[in-house]
Amino acid sequence: MFTRLKRLYRNTIFRLSMIAAAQFALLSLFMLGYIYYTTVVSELNRVDIEISSELEDFAKIHSVLGPNGVHEQVILSMLPVRDSLYAYSYQGLPTGNLESLPPFSDNGKYNFLATLFGLNNLNARTFVYSPFSDNDDTTNIGVEKKTTHRARGQYIKLAENEFLFVARDVERLMVKSERITRSLIIAMVIAIAMGLLSGLFVASRFTRRVGRLNKLATDVRSGDLQRRAPRDASGDELDVLAEHLNDMLDHINHLMQAMRYAGDSIAHDLRSPLTRLKTRLESAAMETKDEAVRDTLLRSSDDASELLRTFESVLHIARLETGDRRELLLPLNPKVVIEDIAELYEPSCEDAGLDFALEIEGKHMVRADRGLLSQAVSNLVENAIKYTPRGGAITLRLRKIRSGRVEISVTDTGPGIPPDERQRVKERFVRLEKSRTLPGSGLGLSLVDAIADLHRAKFVLSDGPGGPDSRMPGLRAALVFPRMKKT
Amino acid sequence: MRILVVEDDEIAAEYVRKGLMEAGHVVDLAGDGELGLEMAKSADYDALVLDRMLPKRDGLSLLSELRDDGDSTPVLILSALGEVDQKVEGLRAGGDDYLAKPYSFAELLARVEAMGRRSDPTAAVTKLKAGDLEMDLLARTVKRADQKILLQPREFRLLECLMRHAGKVVTRTMLLEKVWDYHFDPQTNVIDVHISRLRAKIDKEFETPMLHTVRGAGYRLQV
Repeated sequence: MFTRLKRLYRNTIFRLSMIAAAQFALLSLFMLGYIYYTTVVSELNRVDIEISSELEDFAKIHSVLGPNGVHEQVILSMLPVRDSLYAYSYQGLPTGNLESLPPFSDNGKYNFLATLFGLNNLNARTFVYSPFSDNDDTTNIGVEKKTTHRARGQYIKLAENEFLFVARDVERLMVKSERITRSLIIAMVIAIAMGLLSGLFVASRFTRRVGRLNKLATDVRSGDLQRRAPRDASGDELDVLAEHLNDMLDHINHLMQAMRYAGDSIAHDLRSPLTRLKTRLESAAMETKDEAVRDTLLRSSDDASELLRTFESVLHIARLETGDRRELLLPLNPKVVIEDIAELYEPSCEDAGLDFALEIEGKHMVRADRGLLSQAVSNLVENAIKYTPRGGAITLRLRKIRSGRVEISVTDTGPGIPPDERQRVKERFVRLEKSRTLPGSGLGLSLVDAIADLHRAKFVLSDGPGGPDSRMPGLRAALVFPRMKKT
Repeated sequence: MRILVVEDDEIAAEYVRKGLMEAGHVVDLAGDGELGLEMAKSADYDALVLDRMLPKRDGLSLLSELRDDGDSTPVLILSALGEVDQKVEGLRAGGDDYLAKPYSFAELLARVEAMGRRSDPTAAVTKLKAGDLEMDLLARTVKRADQKILLQPREFRLLECLMRHAGKVVTRTMLLEKVWDYHFDPQTNVIDVHISRLRAKIDKEFETPMLHTVRGAGYRLQV
């Protein structure tokens, strides 16, 4: 889970959509603030001003008419406007529609917050009171019947022991603004969630498409030059990238074919003069009476034969690669092929001081060409004999692997092939540094690969079981055949 | 043997002619298909070496014409197309053996001489004899100087092939084809190993060795 999150975090598109979601959240926060200010704060300021001017009026009334005048005015003002609240205490005699004077305390923090929110009148306070439970109270229509209401009020001291508190019920305003705030917060949460989801969706889609391109690159690198990137005809950047990649691969393929064709042509054209050279050397060897000269001539002829064999192998591989012979493959029991090869090479193994084992499990059928299959297995066995030091072991095995496919493998206890070289050794003329001194043309495994390809079989090289010499991992060369279709 | 070589590559044809003549054969050359057919019909040859690709008339058509005419002269087909299917095609058209270019002259010689023998009526015998070596093809037994020799089935077939061509060179490729039915050349001396095992069985306890290696060519069972 953690690694998945980490991987997701590394995804470009996901990161971009997260940034977009965060930007949206910030914008909503800003909008929320703005709307709150315009609806609530400015309204509260207006209420504050109204209260202040009313308090000024009361102050004037007090100076002219005294406490009784204030008392009368409070009663008069109380009657018509239902959301106006008053509390007047004169020598312990309370008047007004507020049961008691709300407790006030001067508090610096509050002032700071009030300023921050943009409230101008720092003497005014927001407080909570319980209105008279009046069922036909028309002022609060649309507001849930609450036992407490919020109100905004301010008081003045008219004289010693004479306080007047004037307030306005702001419950309706507050409820409205709360509703706006709540819906804005919900919208914000939804937006962030949507951003997250679409980010995930787009990111996974993008990752999948980029993943396909990456897979293509690794496939091509491992030798499958025929692979092409899938196109979706959308014409977007990735599709265009896929097109360019495909064009590039076509071009590389074309170049490689041209190179191979040139090589094949050379091999083809050199065969006739080489054959003549060889024939000439042979007949000269037959004619001469001088033993030393004859020996030289015969050895030269052997060299010519080796060259010819190399050319033959190149052309053979080239012919196999065209895949023309694929239709000629017939269902056959590989057991017979394997047994024949085992019989052919067992004495060679014995002479080379190697333990030879043949393991055949179960009955199998594959679609194959007997000659080509024999040649491939023979090449693998010869390779094993060539590279495995005396005292080692070679196992030729035919079995069904877990996927139900038929596998023919040759395992030895030789030096093996390092993992990063395993693909390369299947190429033509590639020989590993340590095998350069041994005879061979570097075409053996290429031929096996070409034969495997013709049979649509996989040619897999891996470490062997490890031999008596622990520095040698051994080599396991396996041909894995595709399952035979029932026809 | 009187041999007709139908080959349009003059240099190659000349070397084949020279080589065959040195081996004691009488050789005629024909440079194209028409001439080759005419010569093959007009004279009685012991063997024909026929290139597949020829001017005027290709090798396979020449061969079918010859066979339709009731001529059963053994024919060795030479071809630059070395694939097995082409070989099958050539043999189906009436060829007796097939040799892919490039070939070694020793291989060609061995095959031509083997072919000459093949046309002998001795092919149907049930007993083979070479010197003091005897092989019973039905009882699958081998004796040398009346001493029984036990052979593995493959060794038996190997010896049978050598005995059928006793006194002649049999190449490694021929052995692979006739004894193992493989049409590819292994890179190692796998045939030599089998021959040396066989040699250990038939020669070791006897004074005169019979199974000889012919440098640059193959093996010969000396009578």
